[in-house]
Amino acid sequence: MSLQLFKIASTTVETPQANVDFTSIPQGYTDLLVVLSGRSDGAAYNNLLRFNNDSGSNYTWRNLYAFSGSVYSDAGTASPENTYIRFGFTNASTMTTSAFGSAQAYIPNYASSLYKSVGTDGTQESNATTGVDIGFTAGLWSSTSAINRVTITPQAGQFVAGTTATLYGVL
Amino acid sequence: MAIKSLKSGSYGRSVKAGNSIILPGDYESIATTIVGAGGASSVTFSSIPSTFTHLQIRYINRNTTAIDSLIIRFNSDTGSNYVRHKLSGDGSSASAAAATSSTYMASADYPAGTSTFGAGVIDVLDYANTNKYKTMRLLAGYDANGSGIIDLRSNLWQSTSAVTRIDITSNSNLFAQYSHFALYGIRG
Repeated sequence: MSLQLFKIASTTVETPQANVDFTSIPQGYTDLLVVLSGRSDGAAYNNLLRFNNDSGSNYTWRNLYAFSGSVYSDAGTASPENTYIRFGFTNASTMTTSAFGSAQAYIPNYASSLYKSVGTDGTQESNATTGVDIGFTAGLWSSTSAINRVTITPQAGQFVAGTTATLYGVL
Repeated sequence: MAIKSLKSGSYGRSVKAGNSIILPGDYESIATTIVGAGGASSVTFSSIPSTFTHLQIRYINRNTTAIDSLIIRFNSDTGSNYVRHKLSGDGSSASAAAATSSTYMASADYPAGTSTFGAGVIDVLDYANTNKYKTMRLLAGYDANGSGIIDLRSNLWQSTSAVTRIDITSNSNLFAQYSHFALYGIRG
């Protein structure tokens, strides 16, 4: 059941920063896996996933999530939601101290000349029965370029100290 | 003799021409438990080394008697230090639920039908980080050919202690034979 998983790069936030940015990604793997343990100093919101510094309207996604005891489904098909793929949720500054969200994104065939499909799941955590998001996202980057850069940005605020992100190559 | 875990020392193989190459990746087996004929009420991973960055558990499980729930605790903590959130679907409807000040974390219910096993993947990022509470994110479920469930769950252990022990317990009855729990360490 073992994976051929190889760490490409990792980031540990020491002082608040606007995003986590993995650049110069080598092209020799089959897939990519990104994991994020994140908290922001802003409001509770999504993590935004972008490739190759592309912030244009080249993304679409579908989302299924739970929030405060109810289930929702939405999509990113028009601006500004189609300028990123939703990548889980970031713990907000109002959430339980020392608690961080947890998210992963799997990007198969990242170096291919096809459009890039992405599967993500992510959770916030806080000692509360309301105000916490957990959910899945299926996303598409409509570009035939190989992915050489992955950028993760909190939709509100900045990532705080203790936020970690790791990029893995999968064979 | 198959090696199922290696907690210390080294492991080597010859890369002479003709042998398969082993690539030293960053995903490593720590320990594996396969339930025997008598069943088991719980599975424990203890003395977890702090040398990895993340942990992952992969499992398949079946109950000896009836559909049951899966309880998980860290470091033998039975106090009211856990929080649970879930998104769940049963094939016809979706639901969400949460609990605070809980004495345990949980994964999806699992089945008891003949040859019918539940499955799950559990991730604990930064499990040894002593500046963070521990978030356990998991995807699990089962299909019993007419019934089933699929859950995305998140659990919080409100402790900054490094995770050194994981107890996975059947809420009622026993894990049936061939239930299989594997703990992996991931370097980051």
